[in-house]
Amino acid sequence: MHIPLMMKLAWRNILRNKRRTFIAGTAIGIGLAAMIFTDALFEGMARYMIRSATASFMGDAQIHREGFRDTYDVDLTIAHLDSVVARLDRSPLVRHYAVRAMTFAMIASSRNSTGVSMVGVDPEREHTLSQIDDAIRQGAFFAGDDARDIVIGSKLADLLEVEIGDRVVLTATQARTGDLAQELFRVSGIYHFDIREMDEGMAVVRLRRAQTMLALGASGAHEVAVAFVDPSVAQEATLPFWNAFSEGGNEALGWPGLLPQMHTILRMSNLNLAITGAILFGVVAMGIINTLFMSIYERMFEFGVLRALGTRRRALLRLVIMEAASLAVVSIVIGTILGLAVTLWIGRVGIDYGNIEMGGVTIRDRIYPLLQWSQYVVYPAWAFVLTTLVGIYPAFHAGRIPPATAMRRAM
Amino acid sequence: MKQNGNVIVTEELTKEYADHGVPVHAVRGVDLTVKRGEFTAIVGPSGSGKTTLLNLVSGLDNPTTGRVWLDGKLISEMDGRHLSDFRRDHVGFVFQAYNLIPVLTVEENVEYVMLLQGVGEAERRARVRELLATMGLEGMEGRRPSELSGGQQQRVAVARAVVSRPSLVLADEPTANLDSQTAVALIEMMRGLNESSGTTFLFSTHDSRVMERARRLIVLCDGVIDSDETRA
Repeated sequence: MHIPLMMKLAWRNILRNKRRTFIAGTAIGIGLAAMIFTDALFEGMARYMIRSATASFMGDAQIHREGFRDTYDVDLTIAHLDSVVARLDRSPLVRHYAVRAMTFAMIASSRNSTGVSMVGVDPEREHTLSQIDDAIRQGAFFAGDDARDIVIGSKLADLLEVEIGDRVVLTATQARTGDLAQELFRVSGIYHFDIREMDEGMAVVRLRRAQTMLALGASGAHEVAVAFVDPSVAQEATLPFWNAFSEGGNEALGWPGLLPQMHTILRMSNLNLAITGAILFGVVAMGIINTLFMSIYERMFEFGVLRALGTRRRALLRLVIMEAASLAVVSIVIGTILGLAVTLWIGRVGIDYGNIEMGGVTIRDRIYPLLQWSQYVVYPAWAFVLTTLVGIYPAFHAGRIPPATAMRRAM
Repeated sequence: MKQNGNVIVTEELTKEYADHGVPVHAVRGVDLTVKRGEFTAIVGPSGSGKTTLLNLVSGLDNPTTGRVWLDGKLISEMDGRHLSDFRRDHVGFVFQAYNLIPVLTVEENVEYVMLLQGVGEAERRARVRELLATMGLEGMEGRRPSELSGGQQQRVAVARAVVSRPSLVLADEPTANLDSQTAVALIEMMRGLNESSGTTFLFSTHDSRVMERARRLIVLCDGVIDSDETRA
């Protein structure tokens, strides 16, 4: 078979009925564009959800004493904290980290009381890792050096009916002895994350103050939040970091381990995308088969002539497959341009999800699709392969018809 | 014995098929021999089996019973692939409706079979140019079939049929769509090629002017050879 001749024939046949080719190409192209855009939107949403969960307070990873996350037991402090901190300082993976002490506590104002998670933080380190200082709506995030400063969430402030400067009392159980400790604090900052658990259930004090109150000592802490230089490494299950910091009774986990429900949702999103793609392509495939069959039946006599002239059955089969491939090329051009245009447009205006909560993360902001080069390689490649594969059925049909039958049927 | 100077030999050739469930006996026990270099017309009324017979002797269709030898090869028992190659190398076709490939130019249409045969580019070009000149089609190499008249298209079809130098050219009603003047010119051209190259021509026709120019006239009626007359 003369390949350049067959390619020339295939390409010219595809352009023979330009309107039909354009319509079929647009149908496949719309499917391709939908896949490109949906992938970009899912990527954008995933990136947003991960960033919302990790950047606000959690960090990309955390180190705890084993069992602490389940029990919140004040006695379960991180083993060999000094060594852990020293190794974090040396690790090239780590951009920032923040040491925290935390426990359940009771907070009371003159008007009301409730249970909260009391978190002791180092304001300097917290500033570089979390966004709590950016979320301050009233007051400041530990502006001076007053050891009695406390920063609380907006909903907690409403519940306690307190404002900046008002006094609150924290009551918590001390380590080892189990004695109750009670301290007076003055509200110095009120933050608003729009995350219910944080706005309603967290009270932040200085680390040293928390360590003293909980009788932990200067090297007693319950959590080290870590921000990686490359946040994506947090999703690598085989990262040596996890083993290196999960020794001596400690456990180091990335956000997928800390927020398994969100990780599952994101994985399900990929599955959903694959299912959507399969359904979409199934519909488009029927369109391609229909287009190719219409084209074949229109040219039945021509196929008979080609066979009469000595074109082998297999060569004819290849010709129709090349026509499918040519149609795929047209579709890819249309789909890629369309996908890029829609992604860029939505990328400018965003999509408002109206504060819905997914996997423990509230989507407060507009979601913007994330454009990645792989979307313009992987999906077009799939479209090309699948369109070409779909062409096999009509191609096989065309190649199987005896030349005399083809010429008789066409008459 | 079957191939002594014969291009076509058929033996007890029959073809039956069903047309909307109704059995049709298109060709019934035809014994036909066509010698090399003959210029033979098959005539007969519509439905007499002319096209079916041409399809059978060229290997485009399989006989229900009987055998066909073409250029000494028993083609009725060849597999599809070998039959395709054999047709490519030994048979040229001219169809009633010209049936050029509309997306190829005149030059590409004519060289198509040579491309399948793997003939080198220089030789292909030379043969195509020479033949198009002979057929009075110089300067039309780059045109598409739709830009040609019916007569010009049929001349291109004849050029395509003979360019690979086959031993047999089959033409199914080649002048049916042409006006009388063009039809006579075309048949004279085919006869000229027959005389100059010795290529065997076997064609079906209704056209009395074409019949007059045939050296042998086979009359087919209801799938049976009614008469077979060779002229001086």
